[in-house]
Amino acid sequence: MIEVTNLEKSFGSVTVLKNLNFTIEKGEVFGVVGHSGAGKSTLLRCFNALEGYQGGSIKVMGKEVAALGREGIKTLRRDMGMIFQNFNLMARKNVFDNVAFPLEVWHTPAQERKRRVLELLDLVGLTDKAYQRVQNLSGGQKQRVGIARALALSPSILLCDEATSALDPRTTITILELLENIRKSLDLTIIMVTHQMEVVKRMCNRILLLDGGECQGLGQTEAFFLAPTPNVKTLIEDEFTLIPGGTNIRMWFPREISQNSVITRMARALDVDFAIVGGKLERYVDDVRGFLIINVDDEHLEKVLNYLQEKKLFWEVMDDAS
Amino acid sequence: MPANSNTFMAALQAVQASYLAIRDDLFQALWETVYMVSASTVFSLVFGFLLAVVMITTGPHGLRPNARVYRSIDMAVNLLRSLPFIILIIAIMPLTRLVMGTGIGTTATIMPLTIAAAPFAARLIEGSFLEVDKGVVEAARSFGASRWQTIFMVMLPEAMPALVLNIAVLAITLLGYSAMAGTVGGGGLGDLAYRLGYNRFQTDVTIWCILLLIVLVQVIQSTGNFLYKRLR
Ligand SMILES: Nc1ncnc2c1ncn2[C@@H]1O[C@H](COP(=O)(O)OP(=O)(O)OP(=O)(O)O)[C@@H](O)[C@H]1O
Ligand SMILES: [Mg+2]
Repeated sequence: MIEVTNLEKSFGSVTVLKNLNFTIEKGEVFGVVGHSGAGKSTLLRCFNALEGYQGGSIKVMGKEVAALGREGIKTLRRDMGMIFQNFNLMARKNVFDNVAFPLEVWHTPAQERKRRVLELLDLVGLTDKAYQRVQNLSGGQKQRVGIARALALSPSILLCDEATSALDPRTTITILELLENIRKSLDLTIIMVTHQMEVVKRMCNRILLLDGGECQGLGQTEAFFLAPTPNVKTLIEDEFTLIPGGTNIRMWFPREISQNSVITRMARALDVDFAIVGGKLERYVDDVRGFLIINVDDEHLEKVLNYLQEKKLFWEVMDDAS
Repeated sequence: MPANSNTFMAALQAVQASYLAIRDDLFQALWETVYMVSASTVFSLVFGFLLAVVMITTGPHGLRPNARVYRSIDMAVNLLRSLPFIILIIAIMPLTRLVMGTGIGTTATIMPLTIAAAPFAARLIEGSFLEVDKGVVEAARSFGASRWQTIFMVMLPEAMPALVLNIAVLAITLLGYSAMAGTVGGGGLGDLAYRLGYNRFQTDVTIWCILLLIVLVQVIQSTGNFLYKRLR
């Protein structure tokens, strides 16, 4: 769907993206994560030619973006809907007119436009708000308008730039659920730029980790979180206070193991006691995974580590500083 | 009490007499002022809008940045705005004669008024356009809107409330300029106050003119404020 090779992008003398290589497959949810200023938005804007690039190539559906003329860019943008962190709706217009805007740009006849807008509002659950001004809507509702507007031209790719960053956690979930449903029913490819790990874990099949405009990691979401590289770890903050003394071990639960009670079984098998420091069960793309941090007395440490090794569990010894 | 009432009545009669004496002059002048100000407001808006569109498009963060074009217009606008209006009237007299057929009279004055106010209008309109949320403009572009569509379907409607307030500012500024138009026989309230009130020591004429000017400013400003509230 999108093929990026050796991409280079700079603003004047400042290089913002360098040497990026990856492909995004049709139908997947592709996450782009990284700290603020990493170049995530810039990368996204290169996809639909809101920004140009200086080197390498971006091919969207087989066509080189930089080689497109005015009409080509217009068509490219029709095929890529975009939603934004701050919604970017026209504040003085009502919900209907905002959703109708892309259709007006493309000279859709008024009747057809009306039919389409109502259909879209139904899809995002805002039929009853059609003639309200967007100013008076909640954040979640505004983003629904944004999604409806982005879908107006029936794109095959949806670009999301921090689409849930301005929303509270509960609203974030409803928006993500909406996106997931839409992706399934409309067969969309979604590219999500975000710095929210919950969003990545819940939605994305694959992730590109950007730092300073360079790729710091690319792969399946599971692999990212089950065996995190140091770069990834700095992004996954956790807020557990570790118990001083003994050794803290973080155990990750991949798919096959999470349902079984690993901990209790280990306690029985080894006949040792350990304290549970904390843990988290998380919803990944399609099921529940998690990790647990336990504190083991030094005298039992070797036994425990051997057991973990033997059972092929993912684990790490946490240093006290973290 | 009766004494007081008498002086009051006398004062009232004096006011009435003064009013009747200059009524025709006053309304003639009021009409000339309204005519000059509204015509030049409309014309300077038209030219100012064209300039502003070019500035917005070619400006540093515009839809198609072009430093050379932007800087030329920017400088021309600053230059015109730094000329005192009274000098401008005289300086462009030949041009006025060429375009309007005459250099003298109320209609002829519309030309220098427009030229003086168009750069100011351009700045005000540019300012209102720059206020429009960049994100909304980006969203429009991301759906394939052309430059033209972005300006007319997004920026113009979004900037409307700010524009309306700025048009009021423009009209009031032009009201001030129009008072100087007497120099070339433009007529109007400023001219009347100068000819009769100042030169012939008819202070009451000056006062009438000032009162009417105050009312005009109030009307323009409150209309602007009202529309702003409606549009927001
Ligand atoms: N128009 C521009 N001109 C110059 N520099 C820019 C421009 N846009 C972005 N940059 C720079 O490019 C870098 C990457 O910006 P970008 O907005 O892509 O980051 P980001 O990863 O999206 O960050 P955030 O999470 O804060 O949105 C930053 O250093 C930024 O200052
Ligand atoms: Mg960003």
